Formats: sequence, structure tokens, C-alpha cells
Amino acid sequence: MGLLDVLFGKKRLPKARLDRLFALSTARITLEAELRLKPAGSAAVIYKPLSTGEFARADDDVRELLHQAAKETGTEVTRRSDSYGFEWVVIEDRDFEDLVTAVHLVSSELQAQGFGEQLLAAAFRFGGGEHPVYLIYGYKRGAFWPFVPTGKEQERDNAEELRLKSELERELPIEEDLSRWFGLFDAPI
Amino acid sequence: MRRKAYGRDFGLSWRMVLTTFLLGALYVVFFIVLLQLFNLSLGVVIVVMAGLAFLQYFTSDRIALAASGAKVVEPDQAPELHDMVERLAAMADIPKPRVAVIDTDVPNAFATGRNPKHAVVAVTRGLWQRLEPHEVEGVVAHELAHVQHRDVAIMTIASFFSMVAAMLMRFGLYAGMFSGGNRDNNAAPVWLIMFVVSLLTYVISYVLLMALSRYREYAADRGAALITGAPENLMSALQKIASRMTQIPQRDLREAAGMNAFFIMPTVKELFSTHPPLEKRLERLAAIAREMGRPVA
Repeated sequence: MGLLDVLFGKKRLPKARLDRLFALSTARITLEAELRLKPAGSAAVIYKPLSTGEFARADDDVRELLHQAAKETGTEVTRRSDSYGFEWVVIEDRDFEDLVTAVHLVSSELQAQGFGEQLLAAAFRFGGGEHPVYLIYGYKRGAFWPFVPTGKEQERDNAEELRLKSELERELPIEEDLSRWFGLFDAPI
Repeated sequence: MRRKAYGRDFGLSWRMVLTTFLLGALYVVFFIVLLQLFNLSLGVVIVVMAGLAFLQYFTSDRIALAASGAKVVEPDQAPELHDMVERLAAMADIPKPRVAVIDTDVPNAFATGRNPKHAVVAVTRGLWQRLEPHEVEGVVAHELAHVQHRDVAIMTIASFFSMVAAMLMRFGLYAGMFSGGNRDNNAAPVWLIMFVVSLLTYVISYVLLMALSRYREYAADRGAALITGAPENLMSALQKIASRMTQIPQRDLREAAGMNAFFIMPTVKELFSTHPPLEKRLERLAAIAREMGRPVA
């Protein structure tokens, strides 16, 4: 947020940061061995579509590319839109590496088409505890944070999230500003 | 591939610069004239006014909330609204502001707070009930753009000298009323000069401030298009709000009049309006919609 943005108003959304997404692949061993976070085999990319033909074309390209890649790795890909006007690309694969790669593929392809700014977050689901655990990657922040919904409406287990934060900090880039830890209660994964 | 920045409007940027420059120049002239007239007391006045402006700046959120009767709501009271604000704020990469609801049927919304960390976004019950979710999204995004552009801070700073002038104008008038006896010098009395200079400063700065406010509305409209990726959301919301505005009873109009500067749509038509006319806003949003997502040539 520069002075010029304040004076004249922003003309672009903040850029997406993809570089830290792969940290999850390397952190995986620790997640499973020490934190007992077992990948549930599903992840999702959330982005805000633009209501324009240019974007629809780019979106189709990404879809095509993803299906090609999915065929080779046996990944299942579905799409849906939510009530807040966001698009979800839901990716299912037993192999965690393939999952992260597929998420990266969607985001890097959107970025290559010039729509990286539309990316909001990626979510990875884990099991093994009392509640499902989501690791959310915020593209604007270039960092992860844990999200543990308790299943009761808008309730989340903050204690568990903070515990995970202190454990994960050694392995993953974690968002330090807790107020940025938005939840995805309606995640279709 | 690099895509165009939306609504790159050199005319708008240029007009904002010009307005800001004119305001600044006007204040400098005002300042110099006053300094020529007084030597000491002006300093005191400025300190007092700075204190007032500071107070206004730091309590802007509470003042606006109290004046509009908005109540801050927690996530469990308005889960959908909270989720919507949270996600749009994340898209704009600003901290999630507090969320408030105003219990009135008039569809409207405003944002306040001196910086993004202390911001509040308030929507009326009517807005939430009468508009479609994607239209509410456009309105909320417009308010978030105000937060992002720090419009409360900008307008407070810009209106500071206008406030000083208004104060001195009154001060000069009182001084003139109560010092009638002294007729020794044949030069124009100081209070009269002060009154005239202050009046001129006030009037001109008022017009300029309103212009600046309108330009910042356009910038916030563009911000909304950016955050939602769909200018048509805000376009249909503005049209709906405008048509509702004319239907509501007069009593509500008067109630809301004092809050005009904060709202997304003014409730009273004025010559020197803080908001641009609907047709022009729609026109510009349509222009943004046309160029959105184009590759840079």
C-alpha cells in the first residue's frame, strides 16, 4: 500500500505469491510423524472469477490443462461456485505430492494467464484429530495458517489452531497476523 | 501475460491532483493572509483546531457509529455478512474491519475509521434484505475500497483548514459585534478582513472538498470493481438503492441527511454533493467492465 495508492486509489489487487506453496510438500513428513496430521486426500483452490470473456477463456484453458494433468496422475477434479461469488477447484488425490502439484498447477496457470490477482486461498484437508484440520494458504500473504472448525456453525477451535501454529512454525511459513486467519466454513472438501 | 490495470483513469487522477493542489494553495494563501494580520493568537487558534481535528480523526468511527445508530455485530449475529466482509477484505489484503448493522429499511452502507486497522463497515438492514447477495457484495467492496484508500484520513486532513476558516469566520463576526466602540483608525478593521478572508477560504474550500469527495467516490467504485471482479454487481446495487431512495418517506430522508458524506449514496440531492450523480457512476463502471481483463497492448 504505497502513498500513491492512497492518493489515487488502487488500480490492481495485491499480487499472488506462489513461491511458498511447495513448503507444504517438504513439511509433510513432520506433519504426519510429529503432529499426527494425516492428509485427507483433498484440497481446493479458491479464486474470484472476473465477469469478462477474457477471464472465461483463461479459465477454460486452466480447466483443460488440469484435466490433462489429472488423467496422468489419477487426480479427480471438480468445480463449484459458492454463495459469495468465489470459484472452487476441488482436487482429490490419495498422493499428497500430486495434490500439492495440482494446486500449484491451477494457481501458476491462472497467474501465467495474467489473473494471479484473482487467487484468494488454497485449502488442504487433514484428518487424524478430533476435528478435521485445514491448512489454508493465503495467496495474498504467501503464508499458511491452520483452520479447525468444530462442526458447530461458525465455531472454530482456536486453542488447537494456536497449538498447531507453534508446532508448524518450524516447518512452514505461518501468517503471524492472527486477524488474517480467515476461515472457510463452507469448504466443499 | 500481463493484464491491464482496471479503470486506469488518467483524467480522474489528474483531477484529484488538481483539486488537492488547489486546496493546498488556497490554504497557503489563507495562512499567509492570517499571519500578516495576527502574530500570536493565530498559533493558539491553530493548536486548538489541530486538537479538535485530532479528536475528530481518532473518534471518527465512534462518532459515525453513534450518529447513524449502527450497532457492531459479532460473527454469530450475522455470519453471512461477516464471511462476505472477511473474504472481500482478504481479496483486497486489508485486515478484516469490524461489521455493523443499522436497523433501518433504507438500503445504504458506510465505512469509517481512521485506518484499516480501526475500520468499521456498516450496512443497513434494508440493504441486506432488499438486495441480492452479489449486489450487497458490490456495496461492501465499495466501502472496503474507501477503507483501503484511507478516505477518512484524507478527508479529515483536507477539511482541516476549511474547519479553521469556519471557526475564524464566526470568531471574526463575534469580534466585530462586540468591538463596535473603537473607531480610532481609518484602516479597515482587522475583524472584517479576517471575516472576509475566512469566508472566501471556507466557500472555495467547501466546493473543492466536495469535488475531492466525488473523485474519491469514483476511485472507490473502481476499487469495488477490482475486489469483486464484477462491476455490474455495484451497478445494479446502485440502481436499486437509488430507486429505493426516492420511495422512502420524507421522515427517513431528514434523519439520514446529516450522514450523507459517509454513505454510499446521498439521500438528498444537493448542488454541491459529496457523491457523483448515479448516471456518471454507472457510465464509469460500464467503462471499467469493458476494459477489464484485457491484456496490456
